[in-house]
Amino acid sequence: MREVPALAARQPGAVHSALAVLEAVAQLGAGVSAQRLSAELGLPRATTYRLVNLLVEDEYLVRTPDLAGFALGAKVAQLAAVVAPPARLSSAARAVLAEARRTVRGGVHVALFVDGRVAVVDADPDFPLSDEARLAREPARYALGRLMLLSQGDARVPELDRARADLARWGATRQSGEVAAASGCLAVPIVDASGLAAGAVAFSGPRHRVDDPDAVLSALRPAADALAPLVV
Amino acid sequence: MTALARAIARPDPVAGFGDRSPLHGLERRRIGIVDLAAQSVAAVAPAAAATTVVLLVAGLAPGATVTAIVAAAILSLGVARTVSQFARRFAATGALYTYTARGLGTRAGLAAGAAILTGYGAVAMFALLGGAYYATYLVAGLWPTIDRALVTVLLVVAQGVLVAFVLVRGIRLSARAALVVEALSVTLIVVLLVALLVQIGPIDLSAVAGAGVGGHLEPTAFAAGAVIALTAFVGFESAATLSVESVSPLRNVPRAITGTVMLSGILYVLAATTQVAGFDALGADLASSASPVNELAEAYGLGGWAVVADIGIAASFLACAIGTSTALVRVLFALSRDGVLPAAVGRTHRRYGTPATAVAWALPVITAVPVLVVAGGNDTHEAMHVTIGIGAAGYIVAYILVCVAAPVFLRRIGELTVGAALVAGVSALALAAALVAFLVDDASAGGTVLTVVAVLSVAATVAVVALRRRHGTGALGAYDEPVAAQVLGGVVSPRHPDDA
Repeated sequence: MREVPALAARQPGAVHSALAVLEAVAQLGAGVSAQRLSAELGLPRATTYRLVNLLVEDEYLVRTPDLAGFALGAKVAQLAAVVAPPARLSSAARAVLAEARRTVRGGVHVALFVDGRVAVVDADPDFPLSDEARLAREPARYALGRLMLLSQGDARVPELDRARADLARWGATRQSGEVAAASGCLAVPIVDASGLAAGAVAFSGPRHRVDDPDAVLSALRPAADALAPLVV
Repeated sequence: MTALARAIARPDPVAGFGDRSPLHGLERRRIGIVDLAAQSVAAVAPAAAATTVVLLVAGLAPGATVTAIVAAAILSLGVARTVSQFARRFAATGALYTYTARGLGTRAGLAAGAAILTGYGAVAMFALLGGAYYATYLVAGLWPTIDRALVTVLLVVAQGVLVAFVLVRGIRLSARAALVVEALSVTLIVVLLVALLVQIGPIDLSAVAGAGVGGHLEPTAFAAGAVIALTAFVGFESAATLSVESVSPLRNVPRAITGTVMLSGILYVLAATTQVAGFDALGADLASSASPVNELAEAYGLGGWAVVADIGIAASFLACAIGTSTALVRVLFALSRDGVLPAAVGRTHRRYGTPATAVAWALPVITAVPVLVVAGGNDTHEAMHVTIGIGAAGYIVAYILVCVAAPVFLRRIGELTVGAALVAGVSALALAAALVAFLVDDASAGGTVLTVVAVLSVAATVAVVALRRRHGTGALGAYDEPVAAQVLGGVVSPRHPDDA
């Protein structure tokens, strides 16, 4: 029953084709039809239809009210935010961070919370983040994402109840052995002038250092306090 | 700089989008794929159909029971695929009504609306009657002296009140209630069927597949069996009525619809195999059995399980009443937002975001009709037979219209493919043949369904002609349009003056 394009859209080339479709919609302007896109891109019609429908499902494209045309969705701006070069920390901030990394001996990262996303500004080059893409996709699974969701007042995710308790007790959110059995992470808020978490200093490393976080926290808390006036 | 990068950095203003959806007021993007699929599965009520419809198919097409069910499943998949052509392109609570209106215009859209309302309404009445029938049966087992008609009436009313409460109280509650009840009933039936299969032992597959009598199989008997089997699948499209309330509807609704057909098909084949093989092994005649699952359970020493099956079937009927009523009120809601029904019907509950006024209009009617029928001294089983017949006719008419509408719609938006046109065309023809066979069969059996369907058709035609005059062409089919905020550079345009 499946049309041939079902296959084509699963091939690695599909990502390329999808970006080409977005590019073509940007070039041809809002209201362009799927038929026109197929002609413009030289893609088979059925493949084009499948691609545009997938892009509409994910809101990268929207159909115009007559259903025949397409326009770029507001969501494509997020694509740009993901690939945009991260802001560089000031040298004063980098000095604070370098000191924290020397003390902690483990991954120490700085992230800012922008538009409901975790933007990693400075990842530890010696202990890189395990999976940044997954952090963006499923924030509630990571200490950084949990802190970000809590700072937004997001109450729907069940994992957050424990995170809220962690934050009250330790002044940090944690994730311990939930993503990989032997490791964990924790995030200490960088608080802006209004008292909200605008970002975080995060630690990722062996699980036992997260389960018993006093040692790590004693290094990260001063770092977060020192970074606050420098980054937010 | 690429065009895309430029568009992101400095978006051109895009006009033509509103600041809120024409279907505003419902609780948006609330339920996930599992609850969504539960809606469709509940409306199909596979646990109830697996035990009742298989018996009817066996009566019409002995020796080809499983084949007829597989044929009906394939036809249902064709319809599911055609409905998905719409469902993956836009979200509309009116579902088949809105899809047809978008493809074929006002008249056909209203006809599809009348047909699917008949389908949902009649099957909801059928489900209330069925739930009451099986519950009465269970109650009578405990107190044999009770007045059965009175108990049935009370149970219908109680179920009607329960359904109305669940529907108003929020989509999460009604979807979850349907999911839990339906999961319970399907599990009970599957456990019973598998237990029976184990007891029956090795199965003669050629007998089950009908190969043994293949040479003698009459095509007309096979067709009649397949048509009845089709009625066991109708309702699978009802997840589409929850498009606005579903997470990622353009992805999840097609999956829920197709998945429901698959799941039901597997359950029916399992049920048919068990019953055909079981009666074959006993040397008894399946078609002449009154309650095959109960008799099989008795014969294979699982007598106590029959009560379990009855509870499962009663639960399935209740889920079916919830599922079809949920779909029905959302079609009424869509008709109101299109201006066909009074604006009051499109009002949503301020707190729960449900089409509460439509519930208040529909549920009393859905409950009152079965109550009057039973109170009038009619046999519950006979009333169930008539309501399911009317409902099936309504569903099939709506399916035919949506299958005709799909290629026209796809052509209009310039996205027609040969495959889609072929699937829709073949499905429409097969459904039309099935409808004729169904009505001819009913005429030979007394014609009660045919009479009611004829009366409803005349009423619907009068209504469609009158409404067509009021609305003109191309005025219907409001769907969940993207709002300006979802469009890069979207600028709010006053597209819905009465919304302001």
